[in-house]
Amino acid sequence: MKLKYKAISIILFILCLSSCGLDNYDEPSSELSGKVTYNGEAIGVKGTVESVQLHLFQDGYDLRTEIPVFVGQDGSFKALLFDGVYKMVARDRNGPWLNTRDTVLVVVKGSSTCQYPVTPYYMINNTMFDVDNDNKLTASFEVEKIAGNNTIESIFLLVSKTSFVDNVSQVARVNLEKPTTGLANISLDLNSLNERFLFARVGVKIDGVDEAIYSKIEKIK
Amino acid sequence: MKKIIYRFLLAIISSASFVACSDFLDRDPDKILSNEQIFSEEIMIKSVIANFYGRINWGQHVRDYEQYIYIDEACSSRENPDQTKDFGNGHWRVYDYGLIREINLFLKDLRATEVLSDTEKKQYEAEVRFIRAWTYFNMCRSMGGMPIVGDVIFDYKPGMDVTTLQYSRSTEAELYDYIIKECEEIAPMMSDAPTVNGARANRWTAQMLRARAAIYAGSIAKYNSLITPQITTEGAEVGIAADKANGYYQIALAASQEVIKSGKYTLQDARSDKGVNFYEAVTVKDNNTEIIWSQDNKYPGYAHEFTTGNSPFSHKEDIDANNIVPVLNLVEDFEYKTQRNGSLKLRDDNGEYIYYDNAKDVFADKDARLYGTVIYPGSVYKGKEVYYQSGQKYMEDGVWKNRIGARGSVDSEGDILTAENGPIRDNTNFTNKSGFNIRKFIDETPASGTRGRGSEVWFTRFRFSEALLIAAEANMELGNAADAITQINKVRARGGIQDLTSIDLEDIVRERRVEFAYENHRYWDLKRWRKAHTVWNGEDGNPKAKMYALFPYKIKDATHPQNGKWVFDKQAAHMAPYPRYFQYRNYYNFIDQSWINNNPKLVKNPYQ
Repeated sequence: MKLKYKAISIILFILCLSSCGLDNYDEPSSELSGKVTYNGEAIGVKGTVESVQLHLFQDGYDLRTEIPVFVGQDGSFKALLFDGVYKMVARDRNGPWLNTRDTVLVVVKGSSTCQYPVTPYYMINNTMFDVDNDNKLTASFEVEKIAGNNTIESIFLLVSKTSFVDNVSQVARVNLEKPTTGLANISLDLNSLNERFLFARVGVKIDGVDEAIYSKIEKIK
Repeated sequence: MKKIIYRFLLAIISSASFVACSDFLDRDPDKILSNEQIFSEEIMIKSVIANFYGRINWGQHVRDYEQYIYIDEACSSRENPDQTKDFGNGHWRVYDYGLIREINLFLKDLRATEVLSDTEKKQYEAEVRFIRAWTYFNMCRSMGGMPIVGDVIFDYKPGMDVTTLQYSRSTEAELYDYIIKECEEIAPMMSDAPTVNGARANRWTAQMLRARAAIYAGSIAKYNSLITPQITTEGAEVGIAADKANGYYQIALAASQEVIKSGKYTLQDARSDKGVNFYEAVTVKDNNTEIIWSQDNKYPGYAHEFTTGNSPFSHKEDIDANNIVPVLNLVEDFEYKTQRNGSLKLRDDNGEYIYYDNAKDVFADKDARLYGTVIYPGSVYKGKEVYYQSGQKYMEDGVWKNRIGARGSVDSEGDILTAENGPIRDNTNFTNKSGFNIRKFIDETPASGTRGRGSEVWFTRFRFSEALLIAAEANMELGNAADAITQINKVRARGGIQDLTSIDLEDIVRERRVEFAYENHRYWDLKRWRKAHTVWNGEDGNPKAKMYALFPYKIKDATHPQNGKWVFDKQAAHMAPYPRYFQYRNYYNFIDQSWINNNPKLVKNPYQ
């Protein structure tokens, strides 16, 4: 008799834990990955504090709420989505590129890749980092004007103790004295930095644009 | 068989217990009042207005002092450094159509009620319309143009077409125009006598809001067109055309002149000690002649913990102290009496320390308003000196070295090593970490610094000096330099600093920075002048964006000729490790997606 009650109560308890499964569906599993590019070349941006974003929209629903996609510092992005057709648009006046906000149609079916082509105001080409015997870091690079009328506000060399390097995440910063297009060198004395690892990067802040454009990142220590 | 009977009995008795004999549960709610009950007595009507007054505390104010740490007036002094890197998309955003609907409901019943005389009705109507205009003003300065609903009361009935409830955003100019027009209409309906502690709005409060809205609109019109890129939307929901600037400046001038000429308020300047005078003019209620509108606080019931949380450690009355502390940037922006550059003289041309006999000597000849705003090393609070000492300095092999101890420590000879007021660079709670404490809005009343009682000090929303500075700014922008100089000099003279002989926008910026520190002006001012993105550009190398602290040291080195003197180290404030970083997208808060979902007619703001 007692056993019966026990059995019944256990069965009731287990029933409580299960659900009907009607409104449960699997989480999105299709991975969309890609890069923000110019002529096929990825654009380096600030990758922290959710600074640079693309927006994904899906037609056919009541509300047009965007799905924010955060762009990493190497210009790449990733999102887990349901299969379907999406529209990708850059956030208004956000990245270091012309604010044309072209729409890219993205078909997601399983793992997919796409590119979001943009026209940057400036590009940083041929970036080289060199640390000499006096522990002096020299970055040499070429700033090229691509489009738009915006002038350069500043050109700077950043050093960070992690592989995330941008104007917020850094331990040292040197501005170029006369920021202009063309070949340039910036140097920084590393002797005062006692970090175990150091990473370097060059950036160009464009007048009137929130986000700067950045070069590749290199580990220098 | 017997068992079955018992079971039946039990079932009957237990079901009977669910039946009630009286209407005990059928009663009117005792915490919800009906409209008829409210509009049956004047005191009930007043209590609704009191409720409205209690719901308009947005942004920085004494009841929410943590908000002060985000700009260049103060930093946190709690355990760990504040990791804020930039301004959020919803920072200090105000969106309260719930309040506006309740005000409109109230207005409808107020106009119909018969318990008030017509003059009383007018006064009350004007007062709540003022609160509504103030709400719109706070929305407008954070987001630009928003839907203007007028006196409409939104009422949803199932099945109705919701699109009739969805209003589009107004333009930014339209919303400022609406606020200005409302103030124009209600001002004559209101009493012209100053209210007790400035707690309630009167005619001059309405004129002040009219002046402030107009000066904001005018400067946005003028300065938005001077930056590239201009921040606008296609439908002008944000951004005002440049040709409207002069019209707004004229309104601002007219409205502020009304307040100045009313003769109801004066710049309080009675005491001979100008520092104490400024403290009393801003913070003390008794015999105050310049408060026009305040958030008034009262014990019991509506006291706050600004004094409790932010007193110097040596003067605290409870366990709390030093939650937020001023930064050196603000202190240095106060001018000297005869020298406009207010930077403290800490080192000579060769980079050597300048030695001071007393810690307070480094602040000698500063604008007296510094004393009324900030407690600095060696100044007096509650009749007792506030002693800051970060450590002792001594010379070793020609290099200055520091001896530093824990908070409130002494060395083996009994001399102070590190004072209980610090400043200290560490992670302990209640420790001062910048070398200063706030004085403005800090209460000297006994027990006001306890958790149990709290402080009654008000938070100033409109002061007479703002009328003068709005008039000065409008005059300057309209080309009436002579009038502008006269007006700004009145405010400067109260701080005991030299008169200006010429005036430009930069003078206005500096004057408002020091006159209105901690009064929730700075952020909005830099926004409307479109200066915020350059002043707070997020660069370490920018001394305006980077926050600093001042660490005082006493020299203890018997072999050194300057033994016993004071020196000061200016150093980066470790509690605010990231420079202030205001970006273009921060000029207007984002429109929340959930609002757009409810009302698809809302247009997004730029950068969103």
